[in-house]
Amino acid sequence: MTGVRFSGVSKRFGAVAALDSLDLAIEAGEFVSLLGPSGSGKSTTLNLLAGLIDADAGEIRIGERVVNDLPPDQRDLAMVFQNYALYPHMTVFENVAFPLRARGRSAAEAEIEARVKRVAGMLGVTELLARYPRELSGGQQQRVALGRAMVREPKVFLLDEPLSNLDARLRIRMRRDIKALHEQIRSTIVYVTHDQAEAMTLSTRIAVFDKGRLQQFDAPEAIYNRPANVFVANFVGEREIALLAGRVERDGADARFHGAGYALLLTGAGARLAPAAGRAATIGVRAEAVAVSADGPGAPATVAMTELSGPDRIVYARIAGGPEIACRAEPRSTFASGQDVRLRFDPERLHAFDPGTTLSLIP
Amino acid sequence: MSWRARSLLRRAVNAAIMLGIVATALFPILWGLSTSLKPTERILEYPPLLVPDQPTLAHYRMLWETGIGRPILNSAIVSAATVALCLVLGSLAGYALARFAFRGKQGVMLAIVAVMSIPLPSVLVPTFTFLVNLDLNDSLIGLVLLYTAYQLPITVWILYGYFRTVPEQIEQAAMIDGYGRLAVLRKIVLPLSGPGLVAAGLFVLTFAWNDFVVAVVMSSSESVRTLPVAIYHYLGFFGRDWGPLTAAAMVSIVPVIGVFVVFQRYFLSGMTGGSVKG
Ligand SMILES: Nc1ncnc2c1ncn2[C@@H]1O[C@H](COP(=O)(O)OP(=O)(O)OP(=O)(O)O)[C@@H](O)[C@H]1O
Ligand SMILES: [Mg+2]
Repeated sequence: MTGVRFSGVSKRFGAVAALDSLDLAIEAGEFVSLLGPSGSGKSTTLNLLAGLIDADAGEIRIGERVVNDLPPDQRDLAMVFQNYALYPHMTVFENVAFPLRARGRSAAEAEIEARVKRVAGMLGVTELLARYPRELSGGQQQRVALGRAMVREPKVFLLDEPLSNLDARLRIRMRRDIKALHEQIRSTIVYVTHDQAEAMTLSTRIAVFDKGRLQQFDAPEAIYNRPANVFVANFVGEREIALLAGRVERDGADARFHGAGYALLLTGAGARLAPAAGRAATIGVRAEAVAVSADGPGAPATVAMTELSGPDRIVYARIAGGPEIACRAEPRSTFASGQDVRLRFDPERLHAFDPGTTLSLIP
Repeated sequence: MSWRARSLLRRAVNAAIMLGIVATALFPILWGLSTSLKPTERILEYPPLLVPDQPTLAHYRMLWETGIGRPILNSAIVSAATVALCLVLGSLAGYALARFAFRGKQGVMLAIVAVMSIPLPSVLVPTFTFLVNLDLNDSLIGLVLLYTAYQLPITVWILYGYFRTVPEQIEQAAMIDGYGRLAVLRKIVLPLSGPGLVAAGLFVLTFAWNDFVVAVVMSSSESVRTLPVAIYHYLGFFGRDWGPLTAAAMVSIVPVIGVFVVFQRYFLSGMTGGSVKG
């Protein structure tokens, strides 16, 4: 079992700071996702760890070993590339056996064959061993790439968006397979993705990146329920979070929010929003934090439009005198555009951020 | 005219033009072949026959008896050694240029292009004195080294261009799989660069096999004579004796044609299909 540690690692490409002073400690056996939008430095982090690019500053350790000056072939890891990078002139068997034939490792031919067959069996590609990569479908290529990485039983597994070329169905199935694989082999896995659902379902912890900086490193529930800043709150979750700028006042057990031209009573949110009380704050409201009903208590609003999104109906409602926010409603509920509705906010799911630093005000 | 008739007409015209080109290119060779198979006294006969009515291998026998074996062997040795040396050195240099960023890389590339454009005859005399100083004139090794020096820039250039088409991620994958740079070059890059290697190799081969000027200047003894020089000597010894001359020319053409036929499929097929997606 081997952990991975980045200490103050930076990487620039010309004028672009691809990675800015990264500190990240991954425990042995963890499944860590690197999550972030395009260009946020995820692949850079992975390539630094693999030794495909050199760090400008900082220290990278795999286990106890500082690997900054080790070439990739001596770091003892395995990697699955975004586009698989299978060797086109070798059969599937030769591809999977390739890591076993490297100098200094060469196992006996019989042993190589046994291991390749076992891995192929696990991944269901036994039938394909004699084929060439160009004769495989995308999903099959992907499994061969996984097999090539697994066959050596590496201490650390790197995966760079391995599912991004697959169709939605296959992606979900492979997601499960990868999770099962991790449970089976218990290697440390570093997994790059910009798909937050993938990160949420697979990881023990998620590292969220933006513009070359690590924003938050925490368990999936914590990332979702206690985002460290506006970026994280906005990036995770199915749709954009509504951000309301204004002031929060505590009113006993409740809280009052004063926006530009409107006010909201946030029933029961007094304690949660206490750290934000009496100051300018940005309130973050996800759709699932708002319940919408035709009448009863709550803030008055008008339905702008509705959409069916998977198992939910999403209602876009305009707060009287204020902005439009998305709310999640029962799929069977019916709301017409222009209808007057009431919004109730779930106090435990409200977030408050400092408008200047964008950091969360709720500990 | 209907589109069908028009397309037929266009194809007929195309075929006629191509036939014309092929005939023009092949005619001298076929004429030489025909001449080499005619008995001496009928070669200059008028009207000439394209297909000899009394074919004979007398000229070829005569070549063999006057010892054409040695020049053929010399040419083969020199060509093979030059091709091997150019491909080995050219692969290493081309790979370094294709994959590494190092100080002075632009300068090296510029120098390669510049060297390629120096006309060979202009360096012949200085090269000769140089070779004499090294005591390598009048030797096959000297010829191999010279040919390699002349052909290395173009080899490096061709291979550099080809190596850059090999997806870098495949190489990175191999490095992570435990292979160092040289092993990656040998097991991944070169096998995927078949067409590039063949193209560069044929370039070098045709030069080394056909070269007359350099060989005739740098060597004088009969034992190191290459085939083109030997053919020239047939012209010298026998005056206008066309039979042996054309027969020798045929002997020198055949291996080159053979090599091209064997390797032609490499010109047609790229080999990186199905390696990376997206
Ligand atoms: N070889 C390179 N040369 C120049 N700039 C680069 C290079 N590699 C990455 N960058 C830049 O560094 C930044 C981070 O890139 P990186 O590849 O790490 O992003 P990413 O998070 O993996 O994005 P994606 O999801 O699109 O793969 C980007 O701005 C990118 O343009
Ligand atoms: Mg990337």
